[in-house]
Order: sequence, then C-alpha cells, then structure tokens
Amino acid sequence: MALLEMKNIVKDFAGCRALDDVSLSVEKGETVAIIGPSGSGKSTLLRCINALTRISRGSIALNGEVFVDSENGQVQNRSGQPEAVYPSEKELKRICCETGMVFQHFNLFPHMNCLKNITYAPVKVKGVNPADAEARGLELLKLVGLPDKRNEFPGRLSGGQKQRVAIARALAMEPEIMLFDEPTSALDPEITGEVLNVMKTLSARNTTMVVVTHEMGFAREVADRVVFMNKGKIVEEGTPEEIFEHPKSERLQEFLSSMLQVKK
Amino acid sequence: MSYIQTITPALLQGAIISLELFALTLIFSLPLGLPIALGENSKLSPLRWFCKVYVLVFRGTPLMLQLFFFYYFFPICLNIRMDAFPTAVITFALNYAAYFAEIYRGGIKSIDAGQYEAAHSLGLSRSQTLFGIILPQTFRIVIPPISNEIIVLVKDTALASAIALADIMKVSKSIVNRDGSLMAYVIAAAMYLAFSFLATCVMERLEKKTSLYDGKEA
Repeated sequence: MALLEMKNIVKDFAGCRALDDVSLSVEKGETVAIIGPSGSGKSTLLRCINALTRISRGSIALNGEVFVDSENGQVQNRSGQPEAVYPSEKELKRICCETGMVFQHFNLFPHMNCLKNITYAPVKVKGVNPADAEARGLELLKLVGLPDKRNEFPGRLSGGQKQRVAIARALAMEPEIMLFDEPTSALDPEITGEVLNVMKTLSARNTTMVVVTHEMGFAREVADRVVFMNKGKIVEEGTPEEIFEHPKSERLQEFLSSMLQVKK
Repeated sequence: MSYIQTITPALLQGAIISLELFALTLIFSLPLGLPIALGENSKLSPLRWFCKVYVLVFRGTPLMLQLFFFYYFFPICLNIRMDAFPTAVITFALNYAAYFAEIYRGGIKSIDAGQYEAAHSLGLSRSQTLFGIILPQTFRIVIPPISNEIIVLVKDTALASAIALADIMKVSKSIVNRDGSLMAYVIAAAMYLAFSFLATCVMERLEKKTSLYDGKEA
C-alpha cells in the first residue's frame, strides 16, 4: 500500500483550474521529484498533501487513512467554488502531523533560537518531554551540520543555514513523509549545495520525500521517480533516466532544453 | 527663587495625580486592547462588529467629550457616585484601549503568512499558533507605535483637569490665576517634558532588549 495516495485531485482557484485531475502515489522510502514550469501546479499539489491548500475534488489518503474525499459530498466555499469536505481542524492537524514541510522562504520562527524552533512543536503538539526534545533537537542539528548554532537566532544565519534548521525542525516531528517546496529557490547558487546534500542524506536513509524543485541535477541524481507537470496536469512520470534521457512528450523536451540553456 | 519653592510642593502633588492616572490608564488599556484587536479579526460577526464599533466610537470622538460624558453618566444614568479620579481612569483606559487595539491589529496583520503555514505544518493548534508564534512577534513590532501613544498619553492626562481633577494642569492653572505669574506653567511644562523624556528612555531600552533576535526577515 502506498504511503501517500492522491486520486483525481482538482483544485479550482477563483476562475482558474490549478490542478486538473491529478493522481499521484508515493511509496514508503521513495524520493519523488516534481518538476515543471512556473505555474504548472507543482507547489499547489504539494500543499494539498498537508492541507495548506484545500482541494476542490478528489481524495487524499495518508498511511491508508483517507482524510479528504469528495465522494463524501461537496460544499461550496465563500466564493461559490466547490470544496471537498475536510474533517475537523483537530483531526486534520493530527493527520497533517504525519507530514513535515520545508518552505521556499524557510519560515523559521524569528523569536526563537534554532534549538527552540526545533523543539517547540514536539513539546507542544506531541507532548514530548522538553529534555528529550532538546536531546533529539541537538542530534538533528548535528545531522544538518549545524551543531554549534543551537542558541543562534534565525536572523543571524545565512539562507542555507536557515533552510537546514528548517529541515531539522520538520524532522523533529518524525513525519512519515517530508515535503519540500522549492527548498533552494531562495538561496544563492553557491550555497544550494549544502541544503541539497542534507536532502541527499535523508534520501539515502530512505526518508519518504516529495520534492518540488528546479534543481534538475538533484532530481536526476537523487530522485527515485520524477514527475513532470504542466498546466495543472501530470504530463509524464518515470525514472530520472526515462524523464531526462528519453522524454516522450514535446512539452517535456521543450522544458528540459530551456532548463539546459539557462544552465549554460 | 523662593517663589518657585513655595509653589513647587503643590505642583508635585498634582504630578503624583497625573502619574497615577498615567500608570493606571496603561495598566488597564494595554491588556484591554488585545481582546479588542482579536475580536476585530474574529469569525463571529457580532463580536467583530462590536469591536469595530467600539474602536470607531472611542477613536472617533474627542477624549474631552468622553470625559464629560462619563463624569455625568455614572451619577445620572447608573445612580453611582463616582469621583473625578476613577472616572478619568475609566475613560482614559477605554479610550486608549481603542488605539492600542488598532496598533495590535496592525502588528498581527504584518506577520508573514509563512509563519501561519509553518505553524500549521507542525500541527500547532490555533491558540498555540497565536500565543506561541504570532503574538510574541507582534509585541516586538508594536513597541515603536506603542511608545508614541504612551508619549501622547503623558500629555493627554492634562485633559482630566477639565473634570476638576487636581493634576499638574489644574494646579498650575489655579496658581497662575491666583498669582498672575507664568512661572507655574513653566514648571508644569518642565514636568511634562521630564515625564515624556523618561517614558521615551524606558521604551527605547525595551525596544533594544527585544530586538535581540533581529536580523532581516527569518
């Protein structure tokens, strides 16, 4: 059974269809990279997984538990758009805790030092005892290569360091699946490596990961499967080799050649 | 010189009244502003409207008028005898809470949506997000506008002399009327200036203390 099962997802924003009948499943331990041009719905798809964005139609199951299914009936949101029925806030939070999210703009809590950023949620949400959370937090800081930054505030870290702390923060909740939303897009090119290396380590440890990225090198080298999206649909998916060496659709060929031109 | 010595004790008496009014106003209005600010963002429309109307009324009418209103409101409508001092405290607190509410609301609004998204992703509840993530950041942001309001309050306390509260303003005015010398006003001005300066220093220190985690955005 797949860890994450998204079926026939439709997402309508006022007047535009961001996701058009998208289905995606992710197996335990798998690293899936989602690539595609801007506005193709990659980030929207990712955000649907932990309900940051609510789907209009379709169903999503995490760990075999269906938490949203439009078969249960539909409601209309304020702007008259159809919306699938979600469970109560509390129930949703419990399910979403099984996912960890890393954002393009880090979104660390600026009023907490690095260690507190990492330990806050485990202590508050899971009721982990603070000393254990701290020990685990230090381990995670070590994992991301920042053992000496425990007392530093995010405002004094570089972008790459912030993102690594953000990864540690997400890992601290021990999620079943890690979601990365363009984790290196806000970073200077020469420091993307430090973040990608951490992600590579996670992937090698069989962490289940879904990564929205523009880093073709990373997708090619680290992902088990690559998904190419365009205009709200999944156009092609396959192994990195299939996608990068033998792209079938014209749109993917076009996209890859434009990415290569930028690189040169 | 000896004239100054003779009028200073009375003015200091007035200063104590002014400072008491100032302190009590802050003690009540700073916390009271917060539920009003949260109410203005509430999903419950009656609560939201109540808070919005509250702010509209207290910000939109003169403080002096509010003072007179409450001065007569308690004895006439509620049949409660109320001295000038508690009347002034209540009026000032209600009035300043409206201003503080707007400052808090602006501060809360300025917090990046990413903070809410991160909190959601980590499974934090609404109240954990509000009290653990949003408000601590808000308080730091609102310190400069709050300081500004506090300086205004130092001077606004003089309005309470209109309902015969024996504050600095009232005392100095009666001394000037009695003696025909402007010296009492000069001393009163010096006192207000000293208090404002003191308040500025305290707030600046607070600002420095809380900017510990400053950098650019997180």
